[in-house]
Amino acid sequence: MVTARRCRLATTGTAILLCLGLVTTGTSIVTAGATTKHAVKVPGVTANKITIGATVPLTGIASAGYSDAAKAANAVFKYINHKGGVFGRKINYVQKDDCYGTPGFGCTGVPNTVTQTKALLALPVFATVGSLGTPTQDSVRSLLRANKVPQLFVNSGSTDWNSPGAYPSLFGWQINYHAEGKIFAQYIKTTYPTANTCFLGQADDFGSDGLAGILAGGIAPSDTQLYTVGGLVVSGGASVGPYVAKFLADKCDVVVLYTIPGATDAVLGAALKIGYSPHWIISNVGSDPVTVDEPFAKAPFPDPEIGAVSFSYLHTTTDTGNPWLAWTTKVLTADQTDFPGFGANSVITGNMANGIGWGVSFVEALKAAGKNFTRASFLNTLTHTTFSQTPSLTPLRYTPGNHQGLNGGFLTVVKSATTLAPINGQVFTTDATNSGPIKPATSLSSGIPSWLK
Amino acid sequence: MVVNSSQRRMSITAMAVVLSAIASFSFGSSTRVAVALSAFLTLLATGAAIFTTPGLRSSHPVVVRAALTITTVDVVLFATYFFPANTNTNLATGAAMSIVLLGLSFLTGASGQISLGNGAFMGVGAFAMAIWANHHATSPIVVGLLVAIVSGALVGLLLGLPATRLRGPYLAGMTLAFAVAFAAILSSFNSWTGGDSGLQLPTAATPPHWLLGFFDSGTSLLTTNSMWLADIAIVVTGVAFFFMANLFASRTGRAMRLIRDNDVAAELVGVSLPRGRVVAFVVSSAYAALGGALSTLIDNAVSPSTYSFALSITILSLIVIGGIGTIPGALIGGIVYAYSNSVITWITNQTGLNPQGNLASQLNGIIFGGLLIVTMLFAPLGISGTARHLWRTRRRRTPR
Amino acid sequence: MDPFLTSRIMTDLLGGLTNGVVYGLVALSLVLVWRSTGILNFAQGAMPMVATYLGMGLLSYNLSYWPCVAVAIVAGFTIGGITERVLVRGLYGKPEINPIVVMVGFLIVLEAVAAAVWSTKPRGLPSPFSAIDWQIGGKPFGLSDFSVFEILTAIGVMAVIAALFRFTKLGLQLRASAIAPEVSRLLGVRVGRMLTLGWMLSTAVGTITTILVASNYFTGLTPQVMDGVFAFGFIAAAVGGLDSPVGSIVAGVSIGIILQFVGDYLNSNDIILTALLILVVSLMVRPNGLFTRSSARRV
Repeated sequence: MVTARRCRLATTGTAILLCLGLVTTGTSIVTAGATTKHAVKVPGVTANKITIGATVPLTGIASAGYSDAAKAANAVFKYINHKGGVFGRKINYVQKDDCYGTPGFGCTGVPNTVTQTKALLALPVFATVGSLGTPTQDSVRSLLRANKVPQLFVNSGSTDWNSPGAYPSLFGWQINYHAEGKIFAQYIKTTYPTANTCFLGQADDFGSDGLAGILAGGIAPSDTQLYTVGGLVVSGGASVGPYVAKFLADKCDVVVLYTIPGATDAVLGAALKIGYSPHWIISNVGSDPVTVDEPFAKAPFPDPEIGAVSFSYLHTTTDTGNPWLAWTTKVLTADQTDFPGFGANSVITGNMANGIGWGVSFVEALKAAGKNFTRASFLNTLTHTTFSQTPSLTPLRYTPGNHQGLNGGFLTVVKSATTLAPINGQVFTTDATNSGPIKPATSLSSGIPSWLK
Repeated sequence: MVVNSSQRRMSITAMAVVLSAIASFSFGSSTRVAVALSAFLTLLATGAAIFTTPGLRSSHPVVVRAALTITTVDVVLFATYFFPANTNTNLATGAAMSIVLLGLSFLTGASGQISLGNGAFMGVGAFAMAIWANHHATSPIVVGLLVAIVSGALVGLLLGLPATRLRGPYLAGMTLAFAVAFAAILSSFNSWTGGDSGLQLPTAATPPHWLLGFFDSGTSLLTTNSMWLADIAIVVTGVAFFFMANLFASRTGRAMRLIRDNDVAAELVGVSLPRGRVVAFVVSSAYAALGGALSTLIDNAVSPSTYSFALSITILSLIVIGGIGTIPGALIGGIVYAYSNSVITWITNQTGLNPQGNLASQLNGIIFGGLLIVTMLFAPLGISGTARHLWRTRRRRTPR
Repeated sequence: MDPFLTSRIMTDLLGGLTNGVVYGLVALSLVLVWRSTGILNFAQGAMPMVATYLGMGLLSYNLSYWPCVAVAIVAGFTIGGITERVLVRGLYGKPEINPIVVMVGFLIVLEAVAAAVWSTKPRGLPSPFSAIDWQIGGKPFGLSDFSVFEILTAIGVMAVIAALFRFTKLGLQLRASAIAPEVSRLLGVRVGRMLTLGWMLSTAVGTITTILVASNYFTGLTPQVMDGVFAFGFIAAAVGGLDSPVGSIVAGVSIGIILQFVGDYLNSNDIILTALLILVVSLMVRPNGLFTRSSARRV
């Protein structure tokens, strides 16, 4: 009796499912056909809003300093939004913490770069803009390519971002570590012609690009060491200690660092401990004086970074004649949410200036792309326009065959715990692919576009 | 009597399957979607028929489990056709994670061992898949998955052997050390693993040609959105769950639970403790590796930072929240993983927090860590275990 | 002067010793908790970190260094006690995995809350002594005022703990409640209180360690400051035996020295690999740690 009823139930149930299946299939195929007809919808873009995103380190070893870059770019977007947006569209910038994707121990509560990038894809975003880090962005470039999401202005100077063949919608922004390394090498050759040069870099494309540049510039370090981020984190910075001791034992006069600020601190600390003070040459991304000084703030000795040579593709804060300086202060002061207490006398750190730089670039590119754009037309505009009114030293220029971005900068020196100053102000550049020799830059960027003021 | 009727039903269904298969081929290329549909419906009907046949559950549990798996997989596969790309990505991510969780659920729930290193085992599979794909770009995906499973099992064996003698905290310590050292191990094989930058898949994972040919009208649907990846993940998950359900119910599974509950008694009745523990460890790491290999397909790349100690902790949290030692718990954990980020974003928006502020960026940790504590203190069986417990007590109370 | 004193071997030995005593202290604090309550405390790095923020944060209110340290240690005692009473009390007698999961959850919550309240920007701590290495004949000798202070502090803490357990009535009660809670209760020992005290002591030891670490490596105080040190301290405790205070310290110092040599003579990447190797090999030889006397399992 019970069995028979169950049988009937099963049969009826299956029949209902069958009918449902047929009906849903039919309707869905029809609607699918209908929507594909007028498919001009751009992901992340509506009539009054454009959503973009980034993964940035708000936690962990790299968060020191770096967390300010994307916030500063967002200050630019908020400023533009306040003026009515670009073609009536407000820029909605979503930043996701990825803890620099720190491998090993730590950051137990923070999702990794891949997870956070997927969260951005789900929003969806028009593009990622200014996501930070060489290893982190390396790990998601294929994911973004597969989902056809532009990966713009990656906040790293690796040469990885310039491979338009393999990654057609991947764009770098700052001058690459290879070119920077060559400029450092030239400086070493002219200033310390007989010096014994040594090199310490991060064990990924950040360090290897820098080393390649130094070598291409004609300097062969007598001692080359690479540290891993995981080892740095798990040892609390102590893992670089033996390298520094080795540099001292090897009598290195000049030490080139391709390090993130946390590692720069660990190196300077270890050197101070053993009474070692070579001529430091520190890559732009690891040298921001304010960031590097943080752990030393309470120490009974002066900031050990003072006197170190670095490099910049942006104007320094000592260049008071630069109109972007006042503009930056105005923009950051307007954003009291992310920069509480920022005012006329506050220090603009290198990371803030960096964020302001590519924030402006994105706004200018959006403006150039016109009111109606798609991902394809936006990228087409980007690769066919020269942006000469930018906060950077040289104009920003991409071509279909070159996605690197900026291509010029000058040497700087750390003057105090808060300031960098140009050494002689000579801006160098290299050819578009960064493979040729360095030469003085001829075209420099100029002024602020009036619509941005 | 009952068996006879079920046998009859099965033979009828089998005939229906054969007939619909013949029918499908006679349709020709123009109506391939109809073929897919008829296959879907046949599977659905077969599954429903087997599942509802009385008596079969006790006489042929494996058949019923197979039917349940096939039907569920069938329905979800069908659904992916209509889901938007994001849902499919989430589905794929969640499915891959649920396989990893299933392995840990078995290890901890069935044999009582603790692993804080399953994120690293997942990484073993992920890297095995990526390295294989980089050297054999044209080999079928399933070969890559098998390579990953074997690598995971081997590494599991390597760590499982010393682990057999260890009790809880020491085992936790060893697996923790493995998880922390995993990135360093990868760095030691820089030329293979790409160091901290990791590896990219040479080409995006694409469906095999026969299937593309089959769906010629829907080719773009298969390749442009994440439906195809979701489909692979779902089928693999179905197979993984089917095997695990049988393992849980098998003699081995019962022996494991005996080891967990009372190892002295287990030895008395002739269960080999070291062997049981090693088997559990190997199975769990093979499952983790399979999940990792799927993640490589979904992410198109692999990097050491993805498989950090933090991921191991996430895995542990998810299975605790879902329900340790249960099969549905792994599914629940997978779903939580796929959607946790959206939930956190939603909370940030609803509470009006500054998304870049200190609090909002730490919300994930506060909520996840808090959930972990609350679950363990007040509902240590997790969602699935607690639900089952409540269901049973209610059934017992209701007069029949 | 004798060139041996400034040789590479001597420098590594002293540097390793300085790191090692820190690992030993972390291991000791883990052992204190394990012995009194049979729980492996994964938040052993995070709880003292919060205490350190609470105490050393007063520096910005112009309190001088030593009072801040005192406040931090008191905060450590308090946090340890509250944690035992609120979180851990309900976990005794539960399966091994329950306390592990709860403490992992606590670690995540504490690090996240600390980052939310104090941000992740590193805060430089003033160090009471110079951290710059002494020089012998123009070459660095592997010790500084601060590292001597560090080693002396560690010895002091160990001596105080040992004296407490060995020579005081309180220490006897602590040991009794850990070994035989039921008998102790019958004899009038307030076992619950003793368990709380075990956690308080452990977190206070941890706080002293955290202050040393945050002033030592030039990385400043961050919510993640103890993560790495915890991992090595944890390995030391497992190698030495979770039941053995002496074992944990010996293991901590040995691991510190071995890893320093590995980092110098091999590669910094091999440091953590060596730590894993030491752990696996030593657990294969002695599954309950090298210094545990009996292999009998706690029930």
